[in-house]
Amino acid sequence: MTDAKLLRDMFQAIAILIDEATFKLTPDNIQLRAMDPSRVAMIDFLWPKTIFDEYECDQPQKMCVNITEFLKLLRRTAKDEIIELTLNPETARLQISITGHYTRTFNMPTLEPQEEETPTPKITFKATAKTTTEGLRQAIEDAQLVSDHVRIEVDTEKLTLNATGDLMGATITLKKNSDALLDLQTQEPSKATFSLSYLAEIIKAASATSEIATLQFANDMPIQIDFHQPKEGKLTFYLAPRIEVE
Amino acid sequence: MRGRVSKGRARVACKDNRWIFELLDKPALTNEFTDNRNLLVAEQSKAGLCVACKGSRMLCGKTRCPVVVRVNSFMRTIPLIKDLDIDGVSPPSVFVGRIGYPYVYAGPLVPPVHEDTSLYDIPELWFGKTIDEIVGFRSMLIRGKHRVHVRRFEEEGKIMDMTRELALASNATDTELSLKKKPRGLIVLNDDIQPFGPSAPIRDLRVASARWDHHVEKAYYDLDLKATPAVLGLYKNGVMVTKIQRAFSVGAFGIKQQRRLVPTRWSITAVDSIVSKELMNKVKAYPLINEYRLYESSYLENQFEVLMIPDAWGYEAIEAWYPGTVWNPGGKNIVMYGDWEGNEGRTTYASIGGCYYAARLAACELLVKERRQAMVIVFREARPGYIMPVGVWQVRENVRNAVRQHPLKFSTLEQALQRISSQFHIPIQRWIRNSRLIINARTQRKITQYA
Repeated sequence: MTDAKLLRDMFQAIAILIDEATFKLTPDNIQLRAMDPSRVAMIDFLWPKTIFDEYECDQPQKMCVNITEFLKLLRRTAKDEIIELTLNPETARLQISITGHYTRTFNMPTLEPQEEETPTPKITFKATAKTTTEGLRQAIEDAQLVSDHVRIEVDTEKLTLNATGDLMGATITLKKNSDALLDLQTQEPSKATFSLSYLAEIIKAASATSEIATLQFANDMPIQIDFHQPKEGKLTFYLAPRIEVE
Repeated sequence: MRGRVSKGRARVACKDNRWIFELLDKPALTNEFTDNRNLLVAEQSKAGLCVACKGSRMLCGKTRCPVVVRVNSFMRTIPLIKDLDIDGVSPPSVFVGRIGYPYVYAGPLVPPVHEDTSLYDIPELWFGKTIDEIVGFRSMLIRGKHRVHVRRFEEEGKIMDMTRELALASNATDTELSLKKKPRGLIVLNDDIQPFGPSAPIRDLRVASARWDHHVEKAYYDLDLKATPAVLGLYKNGVMVTKIQRAFSVGAFGIKQQRRLVPTRWSITAVDSIVSKELMNKVKAYPLINEYRLYESSYLENQFEVLMIPDAWGYEAIEAWYPGTVWNPGGKNIVMYGDWEGNEGRTTYASIGGCYYAARLAACELLVKERRQAMVIVFREARPGYIMPVGVWQVRENVRNAVRQHPLKFSTLEQALQRISSQFHIPIQRWIRNSRLIINARTQRKITQYA
């Protein structure tokens, strides 16, 4: 593919949750669905073959790579360099050639793919909010100043982030049809609490690939964050809520 | 281990300090001691209660006076010191101070006795001994001091070479230590200094030729081997953690240009940290345990409860000092310290210090042995009977002892917490309030619950 930067950004977003990723390669697309080691968050990623300038895959197969190691190589790419990935099924090695002013070819081992399938959470969402990723990121950073978790509430008019720390509290309001909150559709007011460290890392990494995100909620249910890809493809995160006890 | 700041210290010779003087008037001790009165120096904290208490009223809340215990063992050592030449068998043992870093005092610890002293410096074998026994034999160790720059120890000459030779020896070794002055014992009227023998600057040092552990020797002569792989290699070959720590402190590992002396305290934590980090990475690849497990151990009035939760690796250590017992019935002054790390580990130094890493090592050892993964929380309650800190080994060996036992198994977190509650004096709510991982385990849902 001609856009090495896009590949790098996407892998950086994936690396937020997982170290070893098992990709599913089919003749039409490449997919990944995986959870972080603590099973609190999940990533659902898909790139159709049209993202690539050339894509060849005869039969469905799985490929597992160490994302952290792969990223080390990707960091060596410049913006408009051409990158070519080739999986050699016999040696089980992935070959990566990067062509710019000169060509370098790396190869790395692939790992035993995970057989376990990650099921998509089944949730009936009650509210949908469309935000800019930049606005969302700023709001999360504000909340991080006072606490390590945040309660997200939506009603028909606004989306509110409530953070309560040991000493300080914060309320961040995003009004409907403002610059940050582009759209809001609420069937019934909902609220749920989430870990800020997860939210912040996911949004920070994913906003490199996307400018607009769609959030979906329901009362005390996982949040779904769908990062719109400028070209084709899908990048969606799910994050399980915190339920306060006592 | 914890920071109690004493504001200014007054140093007084023993004869000026009445209450130690009185203590020494016990007839059994005085006879031997009268000539040696100047060998003991007492240092008192101005803010301390010790002067008012004089070892009799237990104002500090401990069940016995740590100063009395220490003075008693000094009394037994001092008569053994005949003159400036200490001739004895070193366990082997060395000590590198941290005061004045990078110019530190390094040197051997030599007891003035001729017998197999190897026990004196193998904390792995101390578990179960009383505080008097430990303070007793540790006080026998006379510390020779030699001032040296941590980076320039290679050119220092014979004393430093001999010290290193001794540190790498695998058995107790005959050592002749000539001192510049008569060794003096320092008794600090404060409770966070480790038990220690008398010390003096070195004039000369001779060490009988000793056999080295061949794994240690190999790492020492490999000048291209970095310190981390050297430590891990030795651990894998079954070399005791405290032996690695001793060699680590005399700059025996690492790339040649980067070798340096490491103060004993720091080297203990460095090795605990290096080894446990490696074990953690292994643990993260293993399957989860199937139930909530609780391992328990109590030694030297330290009660440990090691809770393992069937979840991805994470670690937390919380310790409580001087809880709501007889000495502190209101429970107002319980001090709790804790620190934690998530699945990805930590990059900053744990605020509670070396015991965090020592306990992490012991817990990881079990998980690696069983090839299982768990989230581990180590609770420690230090009671008033724990009259003085004896060193981080106590935490390591106490947790190791805990995980050697059969665990109590529970199917829910609440049941496990109930058991912990029954073992501790401090109410469980206080522990929970201070535990990030327990709060998390109770509140954070898993994405798998919604599939």
